[in-house]
Amino acid sequence: MSTFSKEAGAALIEHALSLDCIHCGLCLHTCPTYQLTGNESASPRGRIHLMRAEAEGRIEPDHGFEEAMDSCLLCLRCESVCPAGVSFESMMEDCRDGLDSVRPKGWLVRVVRRIGFGHILPSRRGIRLALGALKLAQVLGLTRVASTLLGARGRALGSLPPVPPRAERQPLNLAAPTPGSESSQAWLMEGCVMPELFGRVNRASATVLAAAGVHCRTHAEHTCCGALHAHNGDLTGARELARSTIIAFESSARIPVVINSAGCGSHMKEYPRLFSDDPEWLERARAFSSRVVDFTEFLAAPERLNPLKSRLGPSQSGTLAFDDPCHLCHGQGVRSAPRTLLASIPGAEVVELEDPEACCGSAGIHSMLRPEDSSALLAEKLEDLERSGAQTLVTANPGCHMQWAGGLTQANSPKQVQHIAEVLAQALKPNAS
Amino acid sequence: MQEQIVTQLRAIVGPEGILTDSTALLAYESDGLTLKRQRPELVLLPRDTNETAQCMRVLHEHGIPLVPRGAGTGLSGGATPVPNGVLVGTARMRDVLELNAEDRFARVQAGVVNVDLTRCCDGDGLFYAPDPSSQMACTIGGNVAENSGGPHCFKYGSTTRHILGLVIVTATGEVLHLDEADVDPAGFDLVGLFVGSEGMFGIATEITVQLTPIPPVTETLLAIFKALDPCCDAVSDLIAARLEPSAIEILDKLAIQAVEASVFAAGYPQEAEAVLLLEVEGRESAVEDTVERMLPILEAHGLLEVRRARDAGERRKLWAGRKGAFGAMGRIAPDLYVADVVVPRTRLREIVRYATDVCSERNLKISNVFHAGDGNIHPNISYDRRDEEEVARVLEAGDLIMETCIKYGGSLSGEHGVGLEKQAMMSRLFTPDDLSVMERVRRCLDPDGRLNPGKMFPVRSCKEVRPQLAGSPGEST
Repeated sequence: MSTFSKEAGAALIEHALSLDCIHCGLCLHTCPTYQLTGNESASPRGRIHLMRAEAEGRIEPDHGFEEAMDSCLLCLRCESVCPAGVSFESMMEDCRDGLDSVRPKGWLVRVVRRIGFGHILPSRRGIRLALGALKLAQVLGLTRVASTLLGARGRALGSLPPVPPRAERQPLNLAAPTPGSESSQAWLMEGCVMPELFGRVNRASATVLAAAGVHCRTHAEHTCCGALHAHNGDLTGARELARSTIIAFESSARIPVVINSAGCGSHMKEYPRLFSDDPEWLERARAFSSRVVDFTEFLAAPERLNPLKSRLGPSQSGTLAFDDPCHLCHGQGVRSAPRTLLASIPGAEVVELEDPEACCGSAGIHSMLRPEDSSALLAEKLEDLERSGAQTLVTANPGCHMQWAGGLTQANSPKQVQHIAEVLAQALKPNAS
Repeated sequence: MQEQIVTQLRAIVGPEGILTDSTALLAYESDGLTLKRQRPELVLLPRDTNETAQCMRVLHEHGIPLVPRGAGTGLSGGATPVPNGVLVGTARMRDVLELNAEDRFARVQAGVVNVDLTRCCDGDGLFYAPDPSSQMACTIGGNVAENSGGPHCFKYGSTTRHILGLVIVTATGEVLHLDEADVDPAGFDLVGLFVGSEGMFGIATEITVQLTPIPPVTETLLAIFKALDPCCDAVSDLIAARLEPSAIEILDKLAIQAVEASVFAAGYPQEAEAVLLLEVEGRESAVEDTVERMLPILEAHGLLEVRRARDAGERRKLWAGRKGAFGAMGRIAPDLYVADVVVPRTRLREIVRYATDVCSERNLKISNVFHAGDGNIHPNISYDRRDEEEVARVLEAGDLIMETCIKYGGSLSGEHGVGLEKQAMMSRLFTPDDLSVMERVRRCLDPDGRLNPGKMFPVRSCKEVRPQLAGSPGEST
């Protein structure tokens, strides 16, 4: 019944990359899917072993292979503990891209790909239409119906946050300042879904950056960076979006590009990888990636932290716990910056989760494709939050934000989720200019 | 495998507890020793003693050989599947069943990860002492099977000194409760017999371990040397002077460079030829006294500099670097042969020199990271398993190193076990009579020889040994 159509001899990944893994197994215990299943083919070491075996022609990519690769969350926790420095993310992206070209796809994946990746995410108009439709469906109660009809797979649809009213779904439209002081300028990348679902986070980010003495500007047309495409087997689409992103921000070559979505920032810092065979674009990608900086990382630098501190008043969010988004801690190695920021809010009570670097199960569109795994991971995180005694869970990534919010709503919890920009914006002293 | 047997087993462990897909099974074809590979017929992941016992009864009934497996981080091939065999993994047995801080013991399922055990009793001022380098991933069950060591076993002793009781499922599926948690149970010490049995006596499903109080003061020193030879001599002299640090570890230059290039970079000086990582624990005055008496000995051997960890964070980093060293070798070559042999500590310098020479004569890359205090050396030879000729040179070098250790009055295994890696050398260390006695002990617990067959005993010697055994005709080991 195998319907895979692979060209004989063509490997899914670059074989040499798999040789970095020495099979020590230190990654096993940190892998969420190995933890869930106890199955070594659902562990980083096992997956690399299978990729290598495929590249060596010992096995063909069959359904077992597909399952091993698709079940990965790409949370990158394995990279944080790998002594050999295996480039797991890049191998998995290549593998899925290769797999995508040889395998038959399920209907849900096809729909998500064709419509979501191809038409919605890359265009502001597409996103607005889609979110408008979602809003209508939510108002009419259709999402509940659809979610019931779809069974487990529809659960994610039902737990999507309510689409905010139209007035809140406006891009920021921040213009460039009058020429002169380039040193205190920054691009704030608004993102694709962020302006629609989390417009308030973008507004909070701009407010906080302004309080730190940064003049922010936004790009009217730019939407998607292509991270979801790269993670889900569409490197061609990812390259296209990377090029358009690079072009959009290329004219102001010295101004940092601030990202308040960890998954996007992590991906954009890795743009050069997409163009390893294209010297011209490789150079442009390098130049762009060197300007990409996470919102927390950017703000925690002393030249911005000091002015921001003088503007911060008492915390408005109760006891806080920061949950490291995987693509911030494992993907970008940013761990102390968000904590530094929270600690600078006068009187803020900040507690640590027991395992803040464990994945919450959001993982891009994973929560939609594998709802059971996703819920199991979230359940452990919710328990961790409960034990911590925190009232506000602080995140720095929209996917995690939705996942946590959905989980807390389902559990009827009084706790709330906030993006770190929202926490900081609420603590800003009023009426200072 | 017959569909009917698979159905029977699936009914016991549930659909999540059995792996039959041939691609998924390939992920289990080796443990940390990648030279030897064999795809299992089936992987079973029972959740408790009861499920394990039921599975074992079915396997017994059908005469199917099996290999127990923890996290598969072992380095001697102990968890490598056997032809036509089943793997019984403990990866879904991860519960801490009881933690008794007053009586200082814990009862855990076999699949609990070593570091998690220490984490769960940390708040009570206790820790689990044996700390293999793979402790981030390896399981207590695997540690029991291999009698694992670790840097701190210099002071605290290896796994066997810390196991108070076991629940064992035998080859026939019988459950043995050896878990009275007494210091010295009446009758034979069967727990002592089981620890280090390399999966050949049964599967331990529940383990009662002794927990150790965290010492009041811990001092971690990094002593930097200009050459490896005097660094080894310094260790011999520390031992001779009856000094008792809790850990004495050596890393040589290549190991340092690999670690420093990794996520576990610990700040080891990359220009140094060798470093000694020393830990001293106890009451403050005793710790100070030991450190003061150690320094002149180190200085007499060409010490360049001593650095002290300033806080717990620095100490963690120094140890994380040491423990990530094996994996970090992935930067040097795709595969690594980690020898694991023991010599009297007065012969450290000679054996390390010998291993270095043997490798350089064969154009092999060698690095050294080892438990110097125990005389347990790990010459790490980097290679590429696709190069058959290089593999042959690696194995030859390994054999020569093992032979020389035996000649020096040492042993074949410090902590990794014999498994597949060292089985051929067993006949050099033991006489046919010795091996025959071992085989008889094994047959008491596993008359059919179905548990981890083909390991530990040298194939040729076994054939010589077998005729002396009563009632075991025609088995293939």
